[in-house]
Amino acid sequence: MTECLTKTSKKVLTKGNYAIANAAVLAGCECYFGYPITPQSEIGEFMSGKMQELKRAYVSAESELAAINMVLGACSTGAKAMTSSSSCAVALMQEALSYAAADELPVVLVSVMRAGPGLGNIYPSQGDYNQATIGGGDGDYKLIVLAPATVQECVDLTYKAFYLAQKYKNPTVLLADGLLGQMMEPVEFKEYPYPEVDNSDWALTGAKGRPGRIIRSYAPLADNQCEFLKKLHAKYKLIEENETEWEEINTEDADIILVSFGSPARNAKSAMKECRKLGIKVGLLRPITLFPFPSKRISELADTAKKFISVEINMGQMIRDIKLAVNGKVPVELINRPVGNPPSVEEIVERIKKESEE
Amino acid sequence: MEKNFIIAGFGGQGVLLAGEVLANAFMLDNKNVTWYPSYGAEMRGGTVNCEIVMNDSEDVSSVNKAETDFIVALNQASFDRFLPKVKKGGWMIANSSLVTEAKTRSDINYMFVPMTKLADDLGNTKMTNILSLGVLAKASGLTDPKLLENALDQVLPPHRKNLLPLNCKALKIGYEYDLSLARA
Repeated sequence: MTECLTKTSKKVLTKGNYAIANAAVLAGCECYFGYPITPQSEIGEFMSGKMQELKRAYVSAESELAAINMVLGACSTGAKAMTSSSSCAVALMQEALSYAAADELPVVLVSVMRAGPGLGNIYPSQGDYNQATIGGGDGDYKLIVLAPATVQECVDLTYKAFYLAQKYKNPTVLLADGLLGQMMEPVEFKEYPYPEVDNSDWALTGAKGRPGRIIRSYAPLADNQCEFLKKLHAKYKLIEENETEWEEINTEDADIILVSFGSPARNAKSAMKECRKLGIKVGLLRPITLFPFPSKRISELADTAKKFISVEINMGQMIRDIKLAVNGKVPVELINRPVGNPPSVEEIVERIKKESEE
Repeated sequence: MEKNFIIAGFGGQGVLLAGEVLANAFMLDNKNVTWYPSYGAEMRGGTVNCEIVMNDSEDVSSVNKAETDFIVALNQASFDRFLPKVKKGGWMIANSSLVTEAKTRSDINYMFVPMTKLADDLGNTKMTNILSLGVLAKASGLTDPKLLENALDQVLPPHRKNLLPLNCKALKIGYEYDLSLARA
């Protein structure tokens, strides 16, 4: 399996998890710290061989807490570093993610969602939309969140995750799900397409010939903390302006707009096409960045569409962001499956037929 | 055109590998293809299966299909479980060494081939999975032994390359099996 995953212009049939891992290596990831958990263990497996082969750092950490804090440490030195995990174990990392946001460290976390809450199960799920976009750490912070829907996007968005993390000095999450992690599709590993970001003005590289630097989130004076948060949120605003990304099909004349991210977006897309054949005007908006969320575009579309339907593998999480964006202009419905594979195309089409009759 | 396939059997019969070989063959034929395994508790005991979706028109296939064009059932449990999922006019291709020949649906095509016995005759019972791909290639006309051979060459790890000739023989036996016997 690993043999064919070298840098090549040729397509190779690759599992989502291996695609992410190989893309991270090609993006220049220098340190991987991790603790295994299904359904993303192949990432650590791949890294355990590849990173040592390339004389980069691989540490099988003693816990997820340790792994994420190792990433923080490595990132503070200016190294490109990452960890990967899943749901209940990403839950353990929330404190560190808040610290990384406050420390403005370019942490990359790959979160391959499984079913929760609690230990849950290894079935695919999107139950951690809230965990990724809202977060469980303390304070007013934001993570950049990217959501692939194909194995090729697992590659492309892993590249992007490293770049955005560096560019904005902000922890960045690649949010995949168990289905995508285990899925194989032909992919192309093109060269890392982004420029290297200069971090020489902040990285802790030893204070030889310059004053020492401190990276910390501790702000003893209230005024300082106010200033800091304003600055941090100005950065988030900039990220919203520059980096919001989505795919949009057939929305111009659509009465119903499906909004779906990740693997269920594939079925939503097919369902949309089926509905068009039946003469029902359906469009699709697929958020690729979950933060920043394409709220502005959804708000615009709410002026022309009659209804939005969120398609998710959870009990309805992204639907809240859609409702906020729609702001009561039109109804927002949900087509979901609590956990497991996405709602089938037939299921989605049936629901759309009903919704379009109302 | 989009076609989907499920390959199913006992854990250990090599159904995931067979699916990977099939998916590779489609990729080598410049088709878009998606492979995904059965996922969850059913992996521990009972049947294992994977689904392969091939299309030559769209870049992204939907998943979790309600119906299937081609099912390859290597054991009885898979046959029983997936028979209702065969699309009308689709194919149930069964390993009659382990599956009782029964045609309870009249709206689908059946193919019963004693795959395990043929693999045993070849000298290695583990060839059942790849032999089934030969049968599938013949029944579907959607791929051919040459593409599958090339796919095998890509998928087999270096320390298993010595098994390539035997695998290719298994493919050929499956592909050349007398269809009039299979559909009897």
